[in-house]
Amino acid sequence: MTLRRQLFLIGIFLVLATGQRADEFKFPLESNSVRFAAVGDMGTGNKPQYETSEQMNEQRKAFPFDFVLTLGDNLYGGHSPGDFEKKFASPYKSLLDAGVKFYAALGNHDHASERFYKPFNMNGANYYSFKKGHVHFFALDSNYMDPKQLDWLQKQLESAGSDEWKICFFHHPLYSSARKHGPATDLRLLLEPLFVKYGVNVVFAGHEHIYERILPQKGIYYFTEGSSGQLRAGGLDRSNITANGFDTDRAFMLVEVADDQMYFEAVSRTGKVVDSGVIQRQQAVTAAKP
Amino acid sequence: MLIAVAIFRTVPIYASVGQGSPPQNLPTQNQPAQNPPPDLKSPGFQEFSDRVQKYVQLHKSVEAAVPKLKATNEPELIVAHQKILARKIKAARAHAKGGDIFTSAAKGDFLKAMSSEFQGPQAPHAKATIKQGAPLKRVRMHVNEIYPESLPYTSVPPTMLQKIPKLPDELAYRVVSSDLVLLDVKANLVVDYLPGVIPVEATNGQ
Repeated sequence: MTLRRQLFLIGIFLVLATGQRADEFKFPLESNSVRFAAVGDMGTGNKPQYETSEQMNEQRKAFPFDFVLTLGDNLYGGHSPGDFEKKFASPYKSLLDAGVKFYAALGNHDHASERFYKPFNMNGANYYSFKKGHVHFFALDSNYMDPKQLDWLQKQLESAGSDEWKICFFHHPLYSSARKHGPATDLRLLLEPLFVKYGVNVVFAGHEHIYERILPQKGIYYFTEGSSGQLRAGGLDRSNITANGFDTDRAFMLVEVADDQMYFEAVSRTGKVVDSGVIQRQQAVTAAKP
Repeated sequence: MLIAVAIFRTVPIYASVGQGSPPQNLPTQNQPAQNPPPDLKSPGFQEFSDRVQKYVQLHKSVEAAVPKLKATNEPELIVAHQKILARKIKAARAHAKGGDIFTSAAKGDFLKAMSSEFQGPQAPHAKATIKQGAPLKRVRMHVNEIYPESLPYTSVPPTMLQKIPKLPDELAYRVVSSDLVLLDVKANLVVDYLPGVIPVEATNGQ
């Protein structure tokens, strides 16, 4: 741990001790950190999506993230060229013009053809991985988790470095307390053993039109952010696995991975920080059987 | 609000069971199904796979005559490619009908596999996955027609995909209402479908 990080953590504890306000949470903004945003279920083309993306621009002034993970339902309804424009290129124009890259996962409203849309950086594949610094990302297609994709994921996780963060993102949440759909338990049956075996640290999903942070399950942190365009107001039925949640407005996430810490915020359309915290990277000791 | 920020530290990953409990218990993977699925090399499945291969040959020959689609900034090219491919495949299969690929022999094996999936120990989870994936109300599919553009894709239970023949990249299974659909993913074309094989109670959660 660097001296700077130690000082930062001491600072946080001092804040706790002196009882200062939640909005004083600060990202460390380290020079070699990995900074990104996450949005889900955003592709409506409606005003709330545009307002949320404007807020992302606003936040980027203080938190300069380099890329965005999309958690599926990138384009609702039609997939004409006009839909690509109205539901993606136009709302995120400022970010795209600033060189922010998007990495998309497919949701149940997305067409496979989106794989070929260059700004989604999928390179024609409906599941793929990429690295940013010491963070390894795995984009999965949870609509269609066939044996081929499972084999691919296992090999990818197996070959990932033990000193890397492993972050998976896809559409359907394995854990959820939302009222509409609930968790994808069949998917969990197959994915969770791999996540545990190969030390996946964090999972981001969408599909439920709310924000929810789940208490660690088998040591893994789960976030659902499916309210970056859509919203199911009052759709979160907090349960004993809910760490925090937000279901009264649109939201998105900001994340910074610095060394062994992941700092996160969930931010509403109006710029209110509705959740924040720091995760210490879990230490995978030995490979356990699934 | 006095608490400024939460610092979450975990114990080593494999020693932690988490602070909350999952909303549903999962079945163990070793638990035997009540109705074992047919062998993937059974005659019905084999016939299905042979028909699939023939379809894929046709798909590839048609696709070879269409300009190759690469990742592009222009959605017009993506949409145009899909439309041309669909139009040419439709023309090449002008006489296609239901059951051409899901033959009657294949249907028997698929029914056994569905029975195993939806009556076995993980049945509640498979049904939950379909419901979780926004199942569609009654929608009629038509062989050799475009999958309706505005309709979402219901999640296909991954445990079900382990019980039925694997498909090449050009194709995918989809669940639509109580039907199992064989979809050409590049052309977004309904290649064939098997009606009424998914239990209705799994699909009524719109």
